Amino acid sequence: MTVAVATSTEVTSCEVNAMSGFILSEEVEGLRGAAARFAEHHLVPEVRGVERAGRWSDHVLGVLEGFSLSALDVPAGLGGAGAGSLAKVVLLETLAVGDAGGLPAADQPGRAVGALVACPDGDVAAEVATACLSGEAQAALVVAGADQSGPLRIEWAPAWPRLRWAWISQEDVLRLVEVIAAPDPTGALAFHASGGVSAALDDCPVVGEWKLEPHIGVQVRGRARLWAAAVAVGVAQAAFDATIAYTTERVVFGKPVAHHQGNAFELAAGATNLLGARLGVRDAAASFDRGDPYAGFWATQTWLTAIDTAVAVTDLGIQLLGGHGFLVDHLAEKRFREVRMLGLLAGGRDAAEADVAGLVLEVPDPIFSSGETRS
Amino acid sequence: MIELDRRSREMVAEVRELGRQYMRPMGLEADRTAQPPPADHPFYLICSRKGGLVSRIVGEGEPDDEPALTWKPLRALLTAEESAYWDRGVALSLPGPGLGGAALRSTATPEQRERFLAPFADHSRAHWAAMAMTEPGAGSDVARIQTRARKEGEEWVLTGSKMFCSNGARSDWVVVWATVDPALGRQGHRAFVVEQGTPGFEVLRIEHKMGSRGYETASFALDDVRVPNQNLLGGEDFYQSRQGFKGAMATFNITRPIHAAQGVGMGRAALDHALDFVRSEYPAQGRRRQRALERLAEIRRGLHTARLLCMHAVSLAREGRDNSLEASYAKLFAPPVVFRAVSTALDIVGEAGVRNDRMLEKLYRDVKILDIGEGTQQVQRLVVGRQLFGLPRDT
Repeated sequence: MTVAVATSTEVTSCEVNAMSGFILSEEVEGLRGAAARFAEHHLVPEVRGVERAGRWSDHVLGVLEGFSLSALDVPAGLGGAGAGSLAKVVLLETLAVGDAGGLPAADQPGRAVGALVACPDGDVAAEVATACLSGEAQAALVVAGADQSGPLRIEWAPAWPRLRWAWISQEDVLRLVEVIAAPDPTGALAFHASGGVSAALDDCPVVGEWKLEPHIGVQVRGRARLWAAAVAVGVAQAAFDATIAYTTERVVFGKPVAHHQGNAFELAAGATNLLGARLGVRDAAASFDRGDPYAGFWATQTWLTAIDTAVAVTDLGIQLLGGHGFLVDHLAEKRFREVRMLGLLAGGRDAAEADVAGLVLEVPDPIFSSGETRS
Repeated sequence: MIELDRRSREMVAEVRELGRQYMRPMGLEADRTAQPPPADHPFYLICSRKGGLVSRIVGEGEPDDEPALTWKPLRALLTAEESAYWDRGVALSLPGPGLGGAALRSTATPEQRERFLAPFADHSRAHWAAMAMTEPGAGSDVARIQTRARKEGEEWVLTGSKMFCSNGARSDWVVVWATVDPALGRQGHRAFVVEQGTPGFEVLRIEHKMGSRGYETASFALDDVRVPNQNLLGGEDFYQSRQGFKGAMATFNITRPIHAAQGVGMGRAALDHALDFVRSEYPAQGRRRQRALERLAEIRRGLHTARLLCMHAVSLAREGRDNSLEASYAKLFAPPVVFRAVSTALDIVGEAGVRNDRMLEKLYRDVKILDIGEGTQQVQRLVVGRQLFGLPRDT
């Protein structure tokens, strides 16, 4: 699949580029539409059942394979579809509107695509990619802080497929280790349809260790964050839609909940922030597709935005549902948990803020930078 | 991210050079003297001789190989942001049809557009136009305007008062919104072009403002002002079929993202000041520097999101799609983000930020109007609520 930018004969090249993150090509729009229908008819009805089962059904996984979920953003040279990040984030976001629970497990290499792409050893990358794309194995991504020197752990990974490797991203160093210890089953805040395991990485055989350019190191983490941001936007959209549906029906003090101005203002702000987050996700994805050296910076920035927004929107979702929002009868509580968990993966907030702070003096404004001090 | 083609880069560079040479110094001078630059300032003549560039800066048209006075929203957005980076007040004072032109685009007949915009093709001297909507008793709730329009033969007679009219006193003409009957509410609204020098059309005062002093803000009295029937924008049929109020709102759907983009430019100016300050004044390492960089990254994040919302809104307009919701998103989001950007930049500069020989204290005074003009964020939230979940108008 080729991700093309929608154009019209009158649109200038400036406008084409500017809108590339906003206007989807026919192919991606078609993918989005098909995924939306699938999510509505097949993911939503099974949400609670697959949580209990700890995995998505084979039928769902088969359809997702048809969407090239796992392969979409993996380069063709590594056995992927090579369709790029923009197509991938649109698909992730759309599926997550229905149910995000099984995505971490079903999408392999998923969050670790950045490590695959950055790995200088093509043979190693190809081996890991092949195993992940076939559904035989997964390679977790562990983000280590700059000053972290002790033993590392995979705190949470999906319970399936088999956890075979871990990519460790620490500043500008990328390491691949083989997971030899049997992972421990573990419960988690969310994503129960993916199950959960944790694993110690003590004494794991090191497959390889590479020094990367600093901005490439940020790209490794940035792609994982972009994955989480896209899912967060989808989950938040679902939460927002459900909130609107409930609060325009439920009457309190003589009018619908949503029509009390205090609530209406918060809903309006939520809708605004949600669109901003979605545009940011697509814009950052497009920056990867263009080969922007600072794509990791933009992806990390958009992850921060998306998580802030999604946490606020899902929190509002519970708040405006009142006591109902706290019950598992509604999906509000599930979405509330999911987006918070997405804000803890790939090193969490501190690591993300450290990454963008480390680059903020260096990354030029994408439009107006003149390469000089202007003030 | 957005990559510009060669022509757009040149356009932005040209605005940048004008900004550096003229707009920033003029803005500082206007702020110091609390007076906008006079209409005969040499810069305005330079702008007029550049013709199309000015049109682009004020979002009105395209020069050279593009049809004259057609609208390219994205380029208008780019130039709005860049010019506001140097001084939004002076950018708003540049010659051109301004908001009056925006009203023409959404409301006027082709004949009226040609008649009223033709003078702007004359680059031998500066020309301005303006729009007058706000009244002393009708700000955010523009449906409540009280300026009356009554028809007498082939003329309309306007009576009332207007305020917060940008560049109004120096304009060739002003689009004045009035009502044929306040009891009709929005259905009664009409827009008229009132030409300068029309008897009864009198400038009452030029307002004194906390900031954004680079452009004049005028108040008018309309004392039995007579305008010909041909100056009713769109003709009477337009209001019968589409409602006058919707015409006014369509105007704002075009200008709100541009207004928000100006804010992004001002926020970027504050960000650049703070970045420079950290580079030159902060220790090379350590917790204080790290904290400042994290805060600057947060500023940058907000401004980038605001820019994307602006571009999304104009991309819809460019395709001829309804963008009223997205225009409100952009206008709702950007001003508070810009305000926080400037305020955070002040924090980073510290006490030195209060000095009026630095830009930041001026920016802090300048930016507040962004969240008021063209619909406060509270109004935008009402607009969003009405569209998204049927918020009643009396909420």
